[in-house]
Amino acid sequence: MAKQYDVLFRLLLIGDSGVGKTCLLCRFTDNEFHSSHISTIGVDFKMKTIEVDGIKVRIQIWDTAGQERYQTITKQYYRRAQGIFLVYDISSERSYQHIMKWVSDVDEYAPEGVQKILIGNKADEEQKRQVGREQGQQLAKEYGMDFYETSACTNLNIKESFTRLTELVLQAHRKELDGLRTRAGNELALAELEEEEGKPEGPANSSKTCWC
Amino acid sequence: MDQSVAIQETLAEGEYCTIAVQGVLCKGDSRQSRLLGLVRYRLENGAQEHALFLYTHRRMAITGDDVSLDQIVPLSRDFMLEEVSPDGELYILGSDVTVQLDTAELRLVFQLPFGSHTRMFLQEVARACPGFDPETRDPEFLWLSRHRFAEPDVQSPKPREWNSDPGTRSGFTPIGGGRYQSRNARRGLEDVLLRSSSYILPGGGATEESEFLLARETLGGGTVGGRSARGGLRDEALEEADREMSAGGGSRERDCAGGFNLDSSRPNGRGLLMDQNSGARCQDKPDNFTRQNKSKSEITDMVRSSTITVSDKAHILSMHKFGLRDTIVKSHLVQKEEDYTYIQNFRFFVGTYNVNGQSPKECLRPWLSHSTQAPDVYCVGFQELDLSKEAFFFHDTPKEEEWFKAVSESLHPGAKYAKVKLIRLVGIMLLLYVKQEHAAHISEVEAETVGTGIMGRMGNKGGVAIRFQLHNTSICVVNSHLAAHTEEYERRNQDYKDICSRMQFSQVDSSLPPLTISKHDVILWLGDLNYRIEELDVEKVKMLIEEKAFQTLYAYDQLKIQVAAKTVFEGFTEGELTFQPTYKYDTGSDDWDTSEKCRAPAWCDRVLWKGKNISQLSYQSHMALKTSDHKPVSSVFDIGVRVVNEELYRKTLEEIVRSLDKMENANIPSVSLSKREFCFENVKYMQLQTESFTIHNGQVPCQFEFINKPEEYSYCKQWLTAKPSKGFLLPDSHVEIELELFVNKATATKLNSGEDKIEDILVLHLDRGKDYFLSVTGNYLPSCFGSPIHTLCYMREPILDLPLETVSKLTLMPVQTADDRSQLENPMEIPKELWMMVDYLYRNAIHQEDLFQQPGLRTEFEHIRDCLDTGMIDNLCASNHSVAEALLLFLESLPEPVICYSTYHNCLECSGNYTASKQVISTLPTFHKNVFNYLMAFLQELLKNSAKNHLDENILASIFGSLLLRNPAGRQKLDMVEKKKAQGFIHQFLCSPV
Ligand SMILES: Nc1nc2c(ncn2[C@@H]2O[C@H](COP(=O)(O)OP(=O)(O)OP(=O)(O)O)[C@@H](O)[C@H]2O)c(=O)[nH]1
Ligand SMILES: [Mg+2]
Repeated sequence: MAKQYDVLFRLLLIGDSGVGKTCLLCRFTDNEFHSSHISTIGVDFKMKTIEVDGIKVRIQIWDTAGQERYQTITKQYYRRAQGIFLVYDISSERSYQHIMKWVSDVDEYAPEGVQKILIGNKADEEQKRQVGREQGQQLAKEYGMDFYETSACTNLNIKESFTRLTELVLQAHRKELDGLRTRAGNELALAELEEEEGKPEGPANSSKTCWC
Repeated sequence: MDQSVAIQETLAEGEYCTIAVQGVLCKGDSRQSRLLGLVRYRLENGAQEHALFLYTHRRMAITGDDVSLDQIVPLSRDFMLEEVSPDGELYILGSDVTVQLDTAELRLVFQLPFGSHTRMFLQEVARACPGFDPETRDPEFLWLSRHRFAEPDVQSPKPREWNSDPGTRSGFTPIGGGRYQSRNARRGLEDVLLRSSSYILPGGGATEESEFLLARETLGGGTVGGRSARGGLRDEALEEADREMSAGGGSRERDCAGGFNLDSSRPNGRGLLMDQNSGARCQDKPDNFTRQNKSKSEITDMVRSSTITVSDKAHILSMHKFGLRDTIVKSHLVQKEEDYTYIQNFRFFVGTYNVNGQSPKECLRPWLSHSTQAPDVYCVGFQELDLSKEAFFFHDTPKEEEWFKAVSESLHPGAKYAKVKLIRLVGIMLLLYVKQEHAAHISEVEAETVGTGIMGRMGNKGGVAIRFQLHNTSICVVNSHLAAHTEEYERRNQDYKDICSRMQFSQVDSSLPPLTISKHDVILWLGDLNYRIEELDVEKVKMLIEEKAFQTLYAYDQLKIQVAAKTVFEGFTEGELTFQPTYKYDTGSDDWDTSEKCRAPAWCDRVLWKGKNISQLSYQSHMALKTSDHKPVSSVFDIGVRVVNEELYRKTLEEIVRSLDKMENANIPSVSLSKREFCFENVKYMQLQTESFTIHNGQVPCQFEFINKPEEYSYCKQWLTAKPSKGFLLPDSHVEIELELFVNKATATKLNSGEDKIEDILVLHLDRGKDYFLSVTGNYLPSCFGSPIHTLCYMREPILDLPLETVSKLTLMPVQTADDRSQLENPMEIPKELWMMVDYLYRNAIHQEDLFQQPGLRTEFEHIRDCLDTGMIDNLCASNHSVAEALLLFLESLPEPVICYSTYHNCLECSGNYTASKQVISTLPTFHKNVFNYLMAFLQELLKNSAKNHLDENILASIFGSLLLRNPAGRQKLDMVEKKKAQGFIHQFLCSPV
C-alpha cells in the first residue's frame, strides 16, 4: 500500500448571493442538490478528501455569505484561504459584473499567492443565459484564472473544478511538498536494502568450539 | 488601538510600556482575556530591565482605568516566550498564534491574534530578553517591588462595586455609607446602573483572580526554588537525550540476545569468565534492552514516516498527521480485503542446512535449483555456520559472506533474484530472495533474532526470522536451531515457545504494538529442530532406514510425538517424510556417523508451515551434498498470495474515504438559531432593551462563543451585550441568549451625532465549526443626555423635534465655533434642559432634606428624560430626588465637562487661590462659563437653606467637585490629593459671592 500523508488546504467559495455557492459545495461533498435558496448567513465549511497527483489532500471548503451587508466580515476570512472560487451565475449579468469587485477584495484581503479560479454556475439554465461562455473565458483570461462553467444541478464540471483548484494550490506549493515527498518515500529500492546490510568484519578465527 | 497607552497610565515614573497586545490566557479549559504589556525600566546606571505586565481589562481598554494589573513576569535570564503549535489542533494559516511563556517558576499559555502586531510584540520581547552574556549583571528587578506593595491600594481586586464603573458616577464615592441604603430594597435607578457596569466590565472571573502574584503557577505544584526546578527539568532532558543516543548506538539485529557487546568484553580481554558476567547482566535487563531497541526503531520510523508535523516555518501549508484517520482507513481496508484482492500462487523454495561450521566446498545447485521451474521466493536457512568462539562472542564471521555468495550463485538460473534480507544470530542465518519482478511488491520487511542458548539467551541456539509483506499477504519465515541431545526434547519445546514469545517485529506505524510470529497469514518454519528418534537402538533405526520403512520409523520421531501431544508447533503442518534422516553422516560421505559417539540417525532438519492456501509440492533431502555431517533439506510450496486489483482497490478506498468524510462532516458542530435579525426601535438613553433568541444544538456537543470581528476588540458594539456570550451545548439541547442594548454616556454622544448607529453584526462561532452572523439594527432617539453644552445652547427647540441632521451637525460642532457667536444666531445662555431641572429644584426642592444624596427612581428618570427631550416640561412630575439625580447624570454625561478638560490642571493648581480661580473660570468658553456660574448660584441658593435641607459646602463641593472637574485622562479613581483640590476649588465658589 502506498504510503499516505496528508496535506490540508482551505478553499473558499465567494460570489453574489444566490449564484449557487452552497449548492456547489453540497454537490461536491454530499452529491446532493437543493432547489430552494436558503441564503447562507455566516460561514460554513465541509471537509473532503481527494487524491491529486498521488497525494492525498484533505480540503476544507468554506462557504461564505454572499449578501452584500456581510461582506465586510466575510472578507476577513479570505486570508485563511489558499484557493478561492469566484462564482457567478450565467443567468445573471449582474453577478458577472460583480466578479470585478470580488477580485479586488481578494487582492486586498487574501494572502499573496492565493490561487483563484472563475466559475460560471447554473450552466444548465441555457434558456435564461445572460452571460456568454466567451465572456466568462475572456474575464478569466484577463485575470489569469482558469475557467469552468458548472452546474450544481446537473453535476457538470463540479469534481473537475474542485480538483483543478486543488491542483493549482498544490502546484503553487510544490517546493514545500517536494521536500515532504522525498522524505516520505518509503519504497526503498532493493539496491538500497542491500546497501544497508553490514559487511562482515573483524578478525577471522577458525578455532572451533562445539556448543551443542 | 494602541493599548500601551492605557497601560502606560498605570505605570510609575521611569517605567515605559514599549508595546502591548491583547491575548487570551489559556488555563486548562478556561480562556481569559489579558493585556500583555512589555514594560521597560531604565536603571540609574543606564542599564535596562524588562518585565511583562499582565492586565485584566475591560472590553475596550482605552485608559488606565480600564485595566487592572494581574501579574508581573520579569524578563529574567530564564524567561522564555516561544511560539508553540497547540496540541491536537490543526495548524492553520491565519489562526491565532499560541505562545508559551516559561520561567523557572511558571508556565503560561496565551493565544495572540494573528498578524504583524503580534509578530512585532514577540520580536520586541525577544529583544528585551537579557540573554546569557556573562559580562552583564543579572537583572535584579528591584523596581518591581513597588507594584507589589502598592497593590492593595492601587488595584481593586475586591468584588467590583457598582460605582467603580466610569460609566456611572464615581463622583459620589466619598459620600459613602449614607447614600443608597435602600438599594436592594427597591428597584431603583441604580439597579440599571449596576447592570450597566457589568456591560463594560466583562467576565467576572477575570477580576476574582486579579491579585498580584509574582509566581502563581509553579511547575508541578508546590513552591520549588526557581533554579532547582529548572535544573531538574534540564537533567531530565539530558537523560532523555542520553537514552536516545544509546538506543541509537545499539544494533537492532544484534541485540543482547546475540551475545555480549564489544565494550564489556574487549578492552580487558578477560575472556569467558568476564563474558559470563556480562551475560548475566544482560539477562537481568532484557526489558531495558528491548526498550532501547524499540526506541531506536521508533526513531527510524519517524525518519522514514511521511507525516511530518508542520512547524511554524511552513506558513503556507498545513500538514498534519491524521493518525487516527489513517488507522481507521486501514482497518476498513483490511475488513474489505476480499473486495479488491484475488489469490495468486507464488512458488516458494524453503531450504535448511546445518553446515557444521564448514565453508562452502561444493556447488549448492543440487539443493537450491533441483526443480525445473524457478521459484518466486527463496527462503534459505543455515545452522552452525561458524562454530568458532569469535563468531560467538563478536558476531563477526567470514562464513556469512562465503555462504551468502555460495547461495546467490546457486539460485535457479532461470530467473534473476534480488536479495531482500539477510539475518544471522551467531551460526543461525536466514536469507530471503525474491524474483526481481516481485521486488516492488515486497514491503514492511523486518528481521529479528532470539537467542535461547547458554543461559537461555545466548545465540548458539535460538532462531532468526524475517517477516515481510508480499502483495497483501503477510509472511513470516523462521529459521531455528533448537537444543541438542536426544533426551532434551522438552528443552526443544521450550526453545520453540521462547522463540514464539520473544520474537517481536516493530511495525511501520510505531504506535501499533509489535508483531509476533503468529500474527502472519503465512508462517514457514525451517531449521535444525534437533528432534531425534527415540526408543529404538541405533541398529534398529539403520535397519528400518535400509528398508526405507520411513513410516514405521516416523512413529518414533520425537517431533511427530510432541506435535501429536500438542506441546509444540501447534497448528503447523509438515509434509510426509519420504527421505532418510539427514543426521548424522561422516563428513564428505553418505556414511552414518562412525565416530565414538556413534549417534543414531535422526530427522533433525525439517520444514513446517501454517496458513491458508499453501500446498507442498516437494519435501526432500539432498544426499549429493557432502560438506557437512547433515544433509540439506528442501521443500517447494505453492502459496496463494492476496494480490491487489488496483482498480478495485481504488474504488474500495474511495468508498471508505467518502464514508469517512461524510462522518466527519456530520461531526462538525452545527446549530440552528430561532432568530437572526434583531431590530431595536426607538432606543433611548439609559433605557434597557432586550431581545432574545434560542440556539438549538444539533447532534454534536459544541462550544459557542460570540467572537471579535477582526480588528475589533469586542464581539459587538459597546452598547450591546449578549448574555451569555459563550457556553457549551450538549446534543439536542438549547440555550436562550439575551441581547441587551443599553446606551450610556460613553456611547450616547456618537449616537447623537450619527457617527455611530444602532447597527452591528455579531459573529456566533462554534468551536471547530461554523460561524453564524446575527444582525442588529435599530434607531436611537437623540437625547440631551450625552450632548455637549454648546450644542444644547444652540438647540432652541426640544432635541426630539429637530431633524436628525441638525442634531448631528450641532453635536459635531466644535466648541470654539460655538463661541464665535457671529456664526449662528440666537443661542441660549445655558442649555434649556439644565435650566428646567434647576428651576424645578429651585421651585420645589430648596428645602428638601438629603437632596443629591438619595437615589432617584428609574421610572421617574425615564419620565424626566422624556420631558426634557420633548420639551414638555409642564408635564414634569417627579420626586425631588429623581430630578436631582437626573441633574447629576446630566452633568456626568456631558462629553466635555463644565470645566473643560484643558482647564482641569490649571484649576487644580490655583485651588485655594480664589482670585486666580476666578481668573481661570473666566477663560472657559462662554457657555461653559455660564453653566458654571449658574450652577454655583443655584448651589449657593441651596446653602442659604441649609437649616432645612442640611446641605453644607463640603457636601456639595464633594458631589460637584468631581462632576464639574474631570481628569482629562479619564481616570475616575482620583488620588486623594487631586480629589481634595477639586473639592477645594468648588468650595471657594460656594463660600464667596459670584
Ligand atoms: N438551475 C440551477 N440552479 C442552481 C444551480 N446552483 C444553484 N442553483 C439554485 O440557486 C439558488 C441559490 O443557490 P445557493 O447555493 O443557495 O446560493 P448561494 O450562492 O449559496 O447564496 P448565498 O448563500 O445567499 O450567498 C438555489 O435556489 C439553487 O437551487 C445550478 O447549477 N443550476
Ligand atoms: Mg449559500
